[in-house]
Amino acid sequence: MKNFFLSLKTAVWLLTCLICVFFLGSYLMPAYRDVHGAMNDRLLFEWVEQVALDHPWVTGWFFLALTALVLLTINTLACSIQAVRGKWSREDFLLRISPQLVHGAFLVILLAHLLGAGWGYRLSGMLPEGASVRLPGDRVLFLREIRAESDPRGYVRDWSARIILYESGRPVADGLLGPNAPLFYGGMGVYLKSFELQPSPAAFLLVTRDPGAVWALAGSVLFVIGTVIILFLKWKKI
Amino acid sequence: MELILFILYPLALVRLRLVLIALAVHGALIIGSGVRYGRIPLIGTHDTLGFLAWSIGVVYLVFGWRRRRGLYSYLTIPLILLLIAGSVISPVMKGPLPPVLRTIWFELHVILSFVSYALFAVGAVFGALFLHDGEREQETNQYRNLLLGYVLFSVAMIFGGIWAHLAWGTYWLWTPKELWTTIVWFFYSLYLHARLVRGWTGRPVAWMGIAGFLIVMFTYVGVGLLMRSSHEF
Repeated sequence: MKNFFLSLKTAVWLLTCLICVFFLGSYLMPAYRDVHGAMNDRLLFEWVEQVALDHPWVTGWFFLALTALVLLTINTLACSIQAVRGKWSREDFLLRISPQLVHGAFLVILLAHLLGAGWGYRLSGMLPEGASVRLPGDRVLFLREIRAESDPRGYVRDWSARIILYESGRPVADGLLGPNAPLFYGGMGVYLKSFELQPSPAAFLLVTRDPGAVWALAGSVLFVIGTVIILFLKWKKI
Repeated sequence: MELILFILYPLALVRLRLVLIALAVHGALIIGSGVRYGRIPLIGTHDTLGFLAWSIGVVYLVFGWRRRRGLYSYLTIPLILLLIAGSVISPVMKGPLPPVLRTIWFELHVILSFVSYALFAVGAVFGALFLHDGEREQETNQYRNLLLGYVLFSVAMIFGGIWAHLAWGTYWLWTPKELWTTIVWFFYSLYLHARLVRGWTGRPVAWMGIAGFLIVMFTYVGVGLLMRSSHEF
């Protein structure tokens, strides 16, 4: 068993498995939209608990992918620990450390997904202009104003919503939401998803808290550093 | 105007470096389109197929600078022409960018994605050359293309994640397009690992490089046509 997880061939076969399982998933997702639709609307663990477990044949691909990822994590850890052990020399330091940097980054990104899947929240709903809504952490979101700009043909060119965020009864942040322009405060993000002006102005807002997002970014930066070092070293060597 | 490219690109079959003329004209057409519509010229199948063809041309020139005409050109130039033909028959998306696409993260995501696709394409060509004549140099060139493509593709995915986080409040969405993008990433990770396994080096990994490009093309064109996703292209 120890040799199984230390083998590069294991990584090759697990990646092959993941490709096959994701292929299956990409077919099943649009075919069973009612089951998979909620994957993006709520936390992944909530979807697993409330939807996926009731449809094991349709969502089996997801659990297979999860299993393969767990095995790949053990395989990556085992191979990296073995590679880090042993004698080091100044000459091959970068060549030996850079793949482990990439492996570490991959694991950090997986950890980020895990954090985002189980902790945090995703809340959404329509909020009329001038109304407020209570949020977790003794916070209140107030929608002050919605603005939309149209071009001469009548197509909406741009839109924005001004909000104020209160914490424990006092204002702590205010800002203008728009496309690609959320408001971040205390680990929480407020997004303007869509809006309507008739019969009365209202905005469809999304409030998220994803504790994994920062880790995903950190893992990504680490991943790029590792792969660029590998690229540089291998390009020169071959 | 794009029809002139069907005359200019085949000049590379006479002398490889003549592709410079085609690239200059094609590049000017792409920039012209961007100026005309006041946006990055990478929206919709028309724009992206044309940009992919141009990127393949650039990679073809860089990696083939010292090469004589031969199978390298006979495989790459028809591929470029095929992509341009696809671009010409696809509808042009006129007008400015929708607000959600007006961000540097989207632009970097798309540009790097297609440059990496171009590297995967030329990597596949080198794989075919290795299978044809068995020269080690061709396999090395394939590896260089795919490694560079993998790095750029990874960066493109990261930029896409940042954009998604700002636009939709999540850096990852469960959609067929995202699954296929991950399949591409897994596949080239598999290639890079398999190349180190005894018994997989040589012809098997050369075939993998070719299969990888077919997966890339399905992810780019096939998924958009066959499966509904957050990506429109």
